[in-house]
Amino acid sequence: MSTQIPEQEAEAESSAEAEADASAESPQEKRMAKKAESASYRDAQKKAQEEIEAAERAVQLKVFRYDPEVEGKQEPRFDEFHVPFTKGMTVLDALMYARDHYDPSLTFRHSCRQAVCGSDAMFVNGQQRLCCKTQMSELEWPVRVEPLPHQDVVKDLVVDMQHFYDQMHSVEPYFQGDENAPSGEEQKQTRENREKIKMSTRCIWCGACMSSCNIAAGDNEYLGPAAINKAYRFYMDEREDQEELEEHRLRILEQEHGVWRCQTQFSCTEVCPKDIPLTEHIQELKREAVKNNLKFW
Amino acid sequence: MAAETSGAPTSFDRGGWGWLFQRITAAFLIVVLAFHFFLLHFYHHAYEVTFAGTNARMSDVGYFATMWLFLVTATFHGVNGIYNAMVNQGITGTQKRAAQGILGLAALLLVVQGTRVALHMNGFL
Amino acid sequence: MSQSYNRGLVEDFGRWKEFQAGMWAWIFHKFTGWILVGYLFTHIAVLSTAIQGPESYTTTLQSLESIFVVRILEIGLLSTAVFHILNGTRLLLVDLGIGLGSQDKSFYASLVLTGAIVVASVPTFLAGLGGGV
Repeated sequence: MSTQIPEQEAEAESSAEAEADASAESPQEKRMAKKAESASYRDAQKKAQEEIEAAERAVQLKVFRYDPEVEGKQEPRFDEFHVPFTKGMTVLDALMYARDHYDPSLTFRHSCRQAVCGSDAMFVNGQQRLCCKTQMSELEWPVRVEPLPHQDVVKDLVVDMQHFYDQMHSVEPYFQGDENAPSGEEQKQTRENREKIKMSTRCIWCGACMSSCNIAAGDNEYLGPAAINKAYRFYMDEREDQEELEEHRLRILEQEHGVWRCQTQFSCTEVCPKDIPLTEHIQELKREAVKNNLKFW
Repeated sequence: MAAETSGAPTSFDRGGWGWLFQRITAAFLIVVLAFHFFLLHFYHHAYEVTFAGTNARMSDVGYFATMWLFLVTATFHGVNGIYNAMVNQGITGTQKRAAQGILGLAALLLVVQGTRVALHMNGFL
Repeated sequence: MSQSYNRGLVEDFGRWKEFQAGMWAWIFHKFTGWILVGYLFTHIAVLSTAIQGPESYTTTLQSLESIFVVRILEIGLLSTAVFHILNGTRLLLVDLGIGLGSQDKSFYASLVLTGAIVVASVPTFLAGLGGGV
């Protein structure tokens, strides 16, 4: 096991410092806190050892490690963790086990753990997957976990999502219904129209599609599958029925770096954890744009 | 609400026409390329091609027109395909203008030369 | 964030084992496309011998056709063109929104069909070699 003891201490120290800043502890208290923390991790590691021996199987995780702020981690590398396998274990469960028992400095995003918040998309065994929704039993072992490709790595499995969010915002991802509708009243949608946009509303902004897209990797200005799908969700919504607005939405999509860049590789559709038919939506918008322009022409 | 609605109804020319023409030429090329292969490798044989044979085929106005359109659409489809690949790689600014210039010139030269050849083949030049 | 680490492109060929059908289709389509454009320019260059006169044209074409390697290259060109045509048809269907659910199967089908057509064409493409033309 290549769990890094020195870094663990460095990390423990910095968190102890943070606590000190907050509550102005004495140096002695600081040392005590540090001691207690490393002791608790020693216990956790011992417990992990026992659990691995007790478990029927242990899964080997190979996790990408990188931290520009820690000397020993500036050169990216893979760390191995052995985690006792339990039925129903997800990749996220395994990562959390590794963090809680071996290395508290192992960093990754997660929140709801049920494929709703979209914060734990990672590159698992060579594919973009949502870790909380990926069963360990479905993967080939050892399992290799890396941060999402085509985005800058901030630390370990955490990537910089800013560009993704910028692209999402550029399509105005919010409902712009009738302004003159009486306030406090619902703007109802037909069942058919709801069905039409149903899949497109499922997006959880995890960024897996954008990361899998070969074109988005090369052309930084490309809106990307998620943003185009978001635009589809509103463009196809019949309650947004003002012609000017439709035009406005189409104009964002049909820029040179909009829908035309899609090369129908289906990478995004393959990796979407919510099974949104992204390529289909992009293609439909291309045809909408062509139709609309032939009409004017 | 829609902010800027002034000016032309759309900005379609920024990529939409290219996309559409790439597909229209594709549909045409599928048929003509298959025909071209079939005619000159299966119906006739490439090793039996002589100027006289070529001349006879090219003297037919319909065939000549098809071959010339084949030249133009294939050039567009190919050169535009290369350009798209470059835009997909994210070229911008000077690089992009240079690519447009060079590819446009290459396409033009190819069509001019191809047309000259075709006119020699049917005996016009 | 300036120190963040960029690992380069994931579709580097080092990861080819992880590519899926749609990605392969795109790579093959692009690759065959490059070959076909290159060939288009070469083709016009060779046919330009017609400008020098009928004899020059006939001699050039027939001497080229008598070279074994040229025949092999022609078979290569045929497979390139057939794949580009078949996968292009697949892409046109995808653009029309037809059969998106079986885009992987249609890619495999175009591969298999390309192979079959090329194998069946080999005799035709090698005919008349060394036959004293």
